[in-house]
Amino acid sequence: MNHRDTCGRFCARALVAAIAAVGFASFAHAQQKEIKLGVIYDYTGAFAAGGSAAAGIGTKAAIDMINERGGIEGYKLKATYADAQSKAEVAINEMTRLLDQEKVDIVMGVFSSAHCVPMAQQMDARKKFFWANVCVASAVLKDKKLQYVFRPQVHSDQFGEASCTFLQENAKAKLGKEAKDLKVAVIYEDGPYGAGVASGNEAKCKSLGMNMVLKEGYAATSPDLSSLITKLRRAQPDVILHTGYNPDITLFWRQAKEQGLKWSALIGHGAGYGQYDKLREAFGKDAEFIYNVDPVAAQLLDPKSLKPGLGDITKEMIKRYTAEIKDRKVDEIPPHVSMGFNQSWILFTDVIPRAIKKYGGIDPEALRKASLETDIPVGGTIQGYGVKFFPPGTPMSGQNERSSPVVMQYIGGDTKIVWPAAIKTADPVLPLPKGHTYAR
Amino acid sequence: MSEVFDIFLLESVLNGLLLGGLLALLSLGLNLIFGVIDVVWICYAELIMVGMYAVYYFHVVFGWPLLLAMLMGILIVAMAGAALHYFVIRPVLAAEPINQLLVTGGVLFFLQAAATLAFGIEFKNLGVTFPPIVVGDISFSMPRLIAFVTALAGMLGMYLFLTRTYIGTAIRAISQDRTIMPLMGVNPNRIFLVTSALGGGLAGLGACLLVLQYDIHPAIGLSFGPITFLICVLGGLGNMVGGFIAAFIFAQFISVGGFFFAIEWGYVIAFLFFIGMMFWRPQGLFTK
Repeated sequence: MNHRDTCGRFCARALVAAIAAVGFASFAHAQQKEIKLGVIYDYTGAFAAGGSAAAGIGTKAAIDMINERGGIEGYKLKATYADAQSKAEVAINEMTRLLDQEKVDIVMGVFSSAHCVPMAQQMDARKKFFWANVCVASAVLKDKKLQYVFRPQVHSDQFGEASCTFLQENAKAKLGKEAKDLKVAVIYEDGPYGAGVASGNEAKCKSLGMNMVLKEGYAATSPDLSSLITKLRRAQPDVILHTGYNPDITLFWRQAKEQGLKWSALIGHGAGYGQYDKLREAFGKDAEFIYNVDPVAAQLLDPKSLKPGLGDITKEMIKRYTAEIKDRKVDEIPPHVSMGFNQSWILFTDVIPRAIKKYGGIDPEALRKASLETDIPVGGTIQGYGVKFFPPGTPMSGQNERSSPVVMQYIGGDTKIVWPAAIKTADPVLPLPKGHTYAR
Repeated sequence: MSEVFDIFLLESVLNGLLLGGLLALLSLGLNLIFGVIDVVWICYAELIMVGMYAVYYFHVVFGWPLLLAMLMGILIVAMAGAALHYFVIRPVLAAEPINQLLVTGGVLFFLQAAATLAFGIEFKNLGVTFPPIVVGDISFSMPRLIAFVTALAGMLGMYLFLTRTYIGTAIRAISQDRTIMPLMGVNPNRIFLVTSALGGGLAGLGACLLVLQYDIHPAIGLSFGPITFLICVLGGLGNMVGGFIAAFIFAQFISVGGFFFAIEWGYVIAFLFFIGMMFWRPQGLFTK
């Protein structure tokens, strides 16, 4: 046996082994099933810094964590991230691209209600599965009879109700007034989000007998709010209920100070009001005692009140967020991170596994049926609320009936939960203490 | 007094006057450019955005005194204006107006995207707020008052510059006839460059005033670009005095309209007025 023969046999075996290895790898790769996700947020434009980019980071963290854990029932998650650029038409174009070119199985994410409303209708008309993470307008689902659109997130009517209920519970003890004697003004950006929360405010506050002295919307891009502030100065409300995005909120606060508007309390509703670090950067101590109604930021909850293991999930989410966004205090991390993460986690750990195991796959019909069977009790998600979707035939079908917001207040540089009483971490500071720039 | 006269209406009128000052200042540079070079800088508000970032970085990040940072902001936008003319406008000076418009539209998107990449999506601000100026029952915004006074000073300064200096006279001359003036020894390219720098400088001045009142973000131009352009058209494109007066008219519609009706109605009424005027005087209110 000469050297050439030895080499020939060895080389032939090696070649066969190599081909086999490559073939096996290809086979294994072919066997690795994928769930294609189309994730849409506003990574640029005005909404990005208003919470959309933060929610995007939360969703990505959930996707990465699931893949690191081996995926879902043999499926890996393959996400395509799309930037809606804070423009509704871009959001819809991206949705179409994701469906028609990327052939995604699920479209999820979406920050702005103005994007969510048309997208939800188009997705449903095409019988594609849409999972709304952040947008809150009740109008996305209310009376729309959508079948393939689901939203575990809190909806805008609940935002509106929370602030009024909070006021009613504290009016007498803190403001020395009966609720019916309380003068309330509602101001809002006039898109579906602001208008939705404002109508929730109006309905609830009026039902509690409060005196609505002004209700007015404005465009979020408005360069001037001075006439609105003049009208507020004339109406002299005790409490202002405000819903807006980011540039309009800071413009309102700045012009309110410059025109000498005062109040006993100002309650914001999500978006720009969830960005405490930005508010503090812009207004310093004046940002103290602002209220914000939002789904709770998961890191503010006591993990003991949640299902075992969820506290660790929250910690991991925070770790990943702070790795991406440096130099941010934990209680300054906006609740949008939790919204982006939590709703995704519910989809990946509850809905999709059931769709695969019980309904044989991830087609829209299987996902729809699996969603309708979701039954997570209170304390079963990192944001505390449970999940059960209103069934078809009800006005809010597809909306989580167990979601609930909280009222938070920025006190002493920290974010505290002040409502509901069952989970509050601080007593509300109400009215604004004497000496505060906006105090009466 | 309050029974016969609503003091808050007076406040609204005065606030409209102050808003008019701000808008007048913004329209000044755009009108100058159009009046002399005959090109509309659709990206004008984006130059203002660049100026706002410049002031922010020099003051907040590099720690320069605010006034010095503002001077740098004006200088940088003036240079940007000159660069815009030299590299973008000059090659298309002889092209169709629509092409010139599209080119500056392209610069608009370029500047927005570049600002997003360079400065990020976070809203930035100087972290300064101002107390109200209170006169009786009426409150005014101090930055708006500063903007108003600056607008008046800017208009006066521009008038003096255009009427009392050689280069100003040359600018006026070339705006009246750009074909004859080269025969009389005026170099139009040099005049266009100076005018662009001047227009940029006025955008920088606007940036210095806006940065006191607004958050800075890459899309801030969208809040002011369209309204500034409409004011210039209303007053007569290229007519600086016309644009100046139109800004105050427009601002009163916004402010007083927003006082009597919902705030959005103020804009609706202002734009309805604009549309009506375009039927009646398409060349602008103050163009002969």
